[in-house]
Amino acid sequence: MDRGATLREALLKAVAETIDRHAEELTALDQAIGDGDHGINMKRGFEAALADSANLVPKPWPDFLKGVGMTLVMKVGGASGPLFGTFFLTLGKELPAEPGQADIVRAIRAAIVAVQARGKSERGQKTLLDVMIPVVEALEAGEADLTRLVGVANGAVDATKPIRAIRGRASFLGDRSIGHIDPGARSSALMIAAVAQVLKEVA
Amino acid sequence: MSTVGIVIVSHSAKVAEGAADMVRQMVGSEVPLAWCGGDPSGGLGTSVEAILTAIDRAWSDAGVALLVDLGGAETNSEMAIEMLPADRQARVVVCNAPIVEGAVIAATEAAGGSSLDVVRRTAEELSPQ
Amino acid sequence: MSEAPIRAEIEITNPTGLHARPAVKLTKLAKSFGASIELAFAADGPWIDAKSVVKVMALKAPRGAILYFSASGTDAALAIAALSDLVRRDFDEGPHAAGGRSTAEPGHVG
Repeated sequence: MDRGATLREALLKAVAETIDRHAEELTALDQAIGDGDHGINMKRGFEAALADSANLVPKPWPDFLKGVGMTLVMKVGGASGPLFGTFFLTLGKELPAEPGQADIVRAIRAAIVAVQARGKSERGQKTLLDVMIPVVEALEAGEADLTRLVGVANGAVDATKPIRAIRGRASFLGDRSIGHIDPGARSSALMIAAVAQVLKEVA
Repeated sequence: MSTVGIVIVSHSAKVAEGAADMVRQMVGSEVPLAWCGGDPSGGLGTSVEAILTAIDRAWSDAGVALLVDLGGAETNSEMAIEMLPADRQARVVVCNAPIVEGAVIAATEAAGGSSLDVVRRTAEELSPQ
Repeated sequence: MSEAPIRAEIEITNPTGLHARPAVKLTKLAKSFGASIELAFAADGPWIDAKSVVKVMALKAPRGAILYFSASGTDAALAIAALSDLVRRDFDEGPHAAGGRSTAEPGHVG
């Protein structure tokens, strides 16, 4: 297996494992302000991607990421499937086969824009965007330290607590959504931390 | 000219089936009709896979009009449309209309042989201006 | 096509009036004719398009109301006759016409 394939396998495994380990926590977060299926939905999606690992991992980065995105779209269900699926699909569309640092940052920004369009949502509405946007902004500002990037993501998760949800199912709760972390924000930060950990190990 | 198909997408299988029942009994069987609802594990929710299957079942060369309920149903429907083959994408629309009334109105319009665009516009006459 | 429109007036005798299901039936029937067909509550209008199910439903015509039809086009006479007959038959909503049966199969009712 070439170096890229090894990395793709490690990343997919790490992300799927972190979602699996935190599925109950994500479900509990979602029970507070949503319909309580975020953990199980995400787990089902990444389990499906992991099960398809032998097929996905040998593909070049663009096709690998598109494959992961497509699996999430089809298997996650709920609104998270299309949102996270769109993120990975767009990464796959935007990245060249041998991406460099600048390509990656640009692709992440494009993927976030696509997620915004898919969810008709913006920053500050208690969604996964509240984690993804600060992280990409840090990347765009030249931040390359993985530990600090994970810190940005985790800080952004906590910052979703006081927000009153106006998008997604949580918006039905109005003021009662205040004081709870957004589950999509939390799962985004978990994935970022898992990716960072793998990258640290290969560095 | 074939008849525009109708697809009903609800978070609840019961709502989707009930709305489809109303279309069948009020409008008749000449309109291609399919519904989907619920997530893959049986709870409330919508799934892109199920929406794609429903679009396929209600497929008509004249196109397919989707009637959806809340947020995620619309997001998933839009995602499903983007995943269709290019030649079908332009012939599937999501109507901005209440799901039950919209389905009956859209099916009535479709049964009269109207184009996809007219079917959509008629269903959308129901929405508050 | 400068001929005068063909007109008819007929009382709604259906116990529940021109509610949703009859409105669908009337509109579907109207759509099966090429003639342009209009509908009103009064002889001098305002007239609505009898092929618009949204407008016909919005009429909410009760039992006892008089419906005025006006049609022009090649099959106008036929259209007026058919529509009047549908109203006269109480939109086929008699005790045997309504039915409570389900015709839907899971996932596919087409």
